[in-house]
Amino acid sequence: MADTLTVVVVDDHSIFRSGLRADLDRSIEVVGEAADVPSAVAVIAATRPHVVLLDVHLPGGSDASVSGGAEVLRRVASEVPSTRFLALSVSDKAEDVVGVIRAGARGYITKGASGAEVSRAVQAVAGGDAVFSPRLAGFVLDAFGAAVGETAAADDELDRLSAREQEVMRLIARGYAYKEVAATLFISAKTVESHVSSVLRKLQLSSRHELTAWATARRLL
Amino acid sequence: MTTAPAAPALVRRRDCLVAGVAGGLADHLGWPVQAVRVAFAVTALLAGAGALLYAWLWAFTPWAEPLGPDDRVVRRAPVAIVATAGALGAAILAILLAILDDGPADGNAPDWLVPAALAVLLAAGAGAWVSFIDRPDPARGRRLEVWVRAALTAVLALLAVVLVLGPAARAWPVIAVLAAFGALLGIGLVYLPALVKLWRDLEGERVRRIRDEQRSAMAAHLHDSVLQTLALIQNRAGASSEAGRLARAQERELRSWLHDGDALADSDLATDLRDFAAALELDYPVRIDVVAVGMSDERASGELAAAAREAMLNAARHAGGEVSVYLEGSARAVDVYVRDRGPGFDPAKVAPGRLGVRESIIGRMRRAGGSATVRAGAGGEGTEVHLRFETRVEHG
Repeated sequence: MADTLTVVVVDDHSIFRSGLRADLDRSIEVVGEAADVPSAVAVIAATRPHVVLLDVHLPGGSDASVSGGAEVLRRVASEVPSTRFLALSVSDKAEDVVGVIRAGARGYITKGASGAEVSRAVQAVAGGDAVFSPRLAGFVLDAFGAAVGETAAADDELDRLSAREQEVMRLIARGYAYKEVAATLFISAKTVESHVSSVLRKLQLSSRHELTAWATARRLL
Repeated sequence: MTTAPAAPALVRRRDCLVAGVAGGLADHLGWPVQAVRVAFAVTALLAGAGALLYAWLWAFTPWAEPLGPDDRVVRRAPVAIVATAGALGAAILAILLAILDDGPADGNAPDWLVPAALAVLLAAGAGAWVSFIDRPDPARGRRLEVWVRAALTAVLALLAVVLVLGPAARAWPVIAVLAAFGALLGIGLVYLPALVKLWRDLEGERVRRIRDEQRSAMAAHLHDSVLQTLALIQNRAGASSEAGRLARAQERELRSWLHDGDALADSDLATDLRDFAAALELDYPVRIDVVAVGMSDERASGELAAAAREAMLNAARHAGGEVSVYLEGSARAVDVYVRDRGPGFDPAKVAPGRLGVRESIIGRMRRAGGSATVRAGAGGEGTEVHLRFETRVEHG
């Protein structure tokens, strides 16, 4: 990385913010912090960082039916089109995160992850890639009906995964890194990334009943 | 008395005529049921002593223990119908007498007063019985309740109208109006138990809702505070450290309590492997991620589960660090992958004396009709165990 990446950390726990700030890679510079929805919107609009590390559960949201993280995305994402959002969640439950992903986040990482892992994810997201955990990959396979044998006939179909995308998601769910997925499937790492990005796009745009149902259930909580 | 064999405990029979009192007492004393019934009837004539004893036993004797979940109390006597019929008969008699009433010449109280009072009492009793006792009984239930109420309301209303507008009102102006009022009160008594029951149900519903609200408020609070702290501990202490593992185990426990506290613990394969992963994380410096996809009717007690547990134990013991478990169930087969990033091992090089992997994983799966492969993980790093179990066709 030639340039340093600028990030804004949005989390309502100051201990967590300072801990993350200390742990992040040196190539990553924290240019702003915010603890609630309004200040996050202001800081992001003012600093225009490369990446925003965004907590899913944030106070200060105006609409109780949407998680704070999703509301930040909704209010500021169109103002800063070049900024990528990486969701941070205290849980590894994909249901917690689907709402934020569908609002536009490029991936998510759990708060238990180490500084090095977060740094890698920030760099991946800044480079335009999507960040999938095994749990999210498993959720996607379930939600798109891959386990019961539904396969997209055409690549641009939004409600099902192509056979290749299913293979990639299965390997990620088995704990493979992108490089290992590439080696196993005899494809390039770039191709793996493009498959993952395409799955992320489907996750964001699909109107499959399971996805919307999960998102709804999440909001009710 | 001490030589007699212990009498059965005094409990009310679940299969009974009215309340199981006579049957229970007969069992306890070793008498025939009919004798007990006759004794009750005879003593009831002695200033109501038998009736009093019956009520006493009804109130203070428990039901016999149910023999199974479907063993419900069966009352063979249609008490509500008998009481309703009695009330109807008494009311009709009162109505006839009131219509034929020709004045106070033959006594100092109207002839219809006693049947009318009896009708009101029996109606109130029938209303209480259908609401409190018959409603849970599927053989009687709501339909009977509706019919009983409708019949009693109609006849009591008719009685009240006849008393006020008929000749009785001219003969006994004060008593007739009071009696008509009593009949209307009887209609109220017919419905009162239903209202009480409705109110109780609403109250129960309200309590349940309050409890749910408290629970979700607590869940939200814990989510914001304790779970965040536990995540932070894992983050600062390192995932494989003692503190990190303890925090992770606590987080897992708290989370499962918060989210499915009320749900029954199902023992499917995914749940079982998650529990086992949690247990391993406490004993070994390892972090195990269990991802489950699809439906599976594979039981936790099966051979596949045993082999998967063995593979996870091996990974925790010999590799440590990050372990991924992936479980996918489809209509045709169940697949389990256990992947670690340890030093790796070659099954061919394992000494023949060490039976661990060969017997407990590969052999076990083969005997059960499945298959198991153990090979190096992607890029030659660590080990990956793949267990596969084809679902039998007749299995569904």
